[in-house]
Amino acid sequence: MSDEARVGIVLVSHSAALAEGTAEVAGQIGGGSVAIAPAGGMDDGGIGTSIARVRQAVRQADAGAGVVILPDLGSSVLTVRALLAEEDFPGPVALADAPFVEGAVAATVAAAAGGDVKAVLHAAEEARHARKL
Amino acid sequence: MPGSCEAAITLTGDLHARPAGSLAVAAAKFQSAVELVAGASTVDAKSVLAVMGLGATRGQRITVRAAGPDAQEAVTAMIGILAEATPVGG
Repeated sequence: MSDEARVGIVLVSHSAALAEGTAEVAGQIGGGSVAIAPAGGMDDGGIGTSIARVRQAVRQADAGAGVVILPDLGSSVLTVRALLAEEDFPGPVALADAPFVEGAVAATVAAAAGGDVKAVLHAAEEARHARKL
Repeated sequence: MPGSCEAAITLTGDLHARPAGSLAVAAAKFQSAVELVAGASTVDAKSVLAVMGLGATRGQRITVRAAGPDAQEAVTAMIGILAEATPVGG
């Protein structure tokens, strides 16, 4: 294993439980070497997405190699885009068009293997082609 | 120097999500192309979702194939993970 910084993963969901649970699953499969930050729910705990929570998660997940963000549905994408329009993060930040659970797992494994933001983004987006059965 | 290598192992447990992740992370570190063959299915060992999609279970024979400059090392690593990740009775 190299000591180089891994790409971080941010999981943006309408539900805090969904973001946290997906982070837990991806972390287990990916072997625990990747920073996965869940950003789920509103600040009051309700269902929705919070730009402040996503901002905090991106900062938390960035170990110096950049971050790939996976949104769950609809307005998660709008929240992430609004954040990226108003703030410049120090490292590269990419928004993935990918299925939430499969994309999170594939992205985490790609990051654990030392992939850069482009490789991790590609792994997440390729997840839509994976068959479950 | 490019080469190819192949080895097989009989699983002593089901190939669950966690060992699939270990396999894919390890496979991705080799330059060689690495494939797993189980029954009629052949998948890229570097794709965790494809490895999980194999649905490989205890008693099944898995063949590891690699082609490239570090094929031998890749096959040895994959067989090691498959042996370790699927303990008897697991």
